[in-house]
Amino acid sequence: MPIAPKPHSALLIVGHGSTGNPDSSAPCFEHADAIRRRGLFAEVHCCFWKEEPSLREAFYMIDSGEVYVVPDFISEGYFTQDVIPRELQLTGPSTIIRGKTFHYCLPVGSHPSMTRLILRRAREVAPDADPAQTTLIITGHGTHLNRNSAQAIRDQVSRIAASGAGYAAVLDAYMEEPPFIAGWDLMAPTPQVIVVPFFIADGLHSYQDIPVLLGIEKEPGAAASQRDIFRHNPHHLRDKLLYYSSAIGTERLLADVILDQVADFDRMHKSALT
Amino acid sequence: MGELEFQTNVSNHFCIVTHWQDAGRVNEPGFGGLERHDGPSAARDLACRTEDGQYRFNKGQTNLQRGWMMVLESGEDLRQALDQFYPAGVGVFLAHRNDTLEVENLRDKLQRQSGMYRLADKISDAGAQQLIRKICGPNHACARRILWQIDAHTPLDDSEASRFSGIPAPLAENEAIPLLCREACNFFVEECRKAAQEEMLDLNHPNTRASDRAGLRGL
Repeated sequence: MPIAPKPHSALLIVGHGSTGNPDSSAPCFEHADAIRRRGLFAEVHCCFWKEEPSLREAFYMIDSGEVYVVPDFISEGYFTQDVIPRELQLTGPSTIIRGKTFHYCLPVGSHPSMTRLILRRAREVAPDADPAQTTLIITGHGTHLNRNSAQAIRDQVSRIAASGAGYAAVLDAYMEEPPFIAGWDLMAPTPQVIVVPFFIADGLHSYQDIPVLLGIEKEPGAAASQRDIFRHNPHHLRDKLLYYSSAIGTERLLADVILDQVADFDRMHKSALT
Repeated sequence: MGELEFQTNVSNHFCIVTHWQDAGRVNEPGFGGLERHDGPSAARDLACRTEDGQYRFNKGQTNLQRGWMMVLESGEDLRQALDQFYPAGVGVFLAHRNDTLEVENLRDKLQRQSGMYRLADKISDAGAQQLIRKICGPNHACARRILWQIDAHTPLDDSEASRFSGIPAPLAENEAIPLLCREACNFFVEECRKAAQEEMLDLNHPNTRASDRAGLRGL
């Protein structure tokens, strides 16, 4: 959805970040650069829970009086419902803090337009795979601590299954709860399988742990930024052809999803005011 | 600012930014062999890793790589570059100068940690003061001037770290923008967690709080 320019507003993209490697925050910065180049906002900034600038420091980077806050997170959960509102001192959809109005948008992963990105990524990673002979598996962490992350994946599975994309099967699978991604070959009824990790960045899970669970690697490799060799597709494993993509959050069109969340915020919360 | 030096009116450019130790090379033929970057977009990559490729997650570390120059043509580009080299550094400085900066004391920061970092707040005041001497300040590769206290009633002990001006280059205070530390960084929080763990596991540790010691004895 096109977004009207907001020359008097700032966009603040909030990520998790890491003290161990730059891969966690890299997609955030790349999406911010892409949006900045479009000239839609007076300012575009990033801030992080585990990197600089912190969420509280971000306030001092912003000159505009109106700020759209978009969490670069895969689902609603502890960070989007507890940490970000607490750190930014948000009390509702819109909060005035020391003269600035902050609008709190939903996280990118919960937007319906993520479906488009998953299908695009699946086509990119396996351009010659006939969907009728292919199973598409969307995989995530899965944990009893946060049911929302698995629900976000199940929502995507339902949308893709109903989208007419033509895949023989569309399935969800997880690292730490059933159905387990380690059993990908048993759950897929087709000779070709595409696995798309539903993560915000290529970090520990999507680039190191899941490749081991899939059988591509024997042991966890180095972090994405330290690797020299691109993971070549397809992989001939367990009598099937496996295509494995990088994390969905690294898709460059995620910048559009960030803007979609801003547009949705305006539609849901501002239309009543105009 | 930090390890950066800005030069204006060089070859008709708005501003040229370098590592302060490379500033003289800008006036040499061929810019002294410095790698040239036009615009602010390379700032994040330059700030992200040391010369030997180590990740600089704390941008206040005094190990910014050398050998480059950044040519900027507007104040907007300069601000964008500085926000990559020293995230929020300019804004924090301006707010401090205008007396509108909200400084966050260590206890406030530690009490807001979650998960495995919740333990960090168990560190004793004495343990936190020791950590500041052990890991903060220019002798431990951090260029920031600490503004926070342990809590509202407990200032930092006098040390090289607590006294540091936030200006690592040999400049007077009116010639530099100091790097300011308005809240303890995540590295410090991580070290608090480790130190708290050590204190709690050692009943006889001098920094173990009496209340924690009694609790541990009761286990």
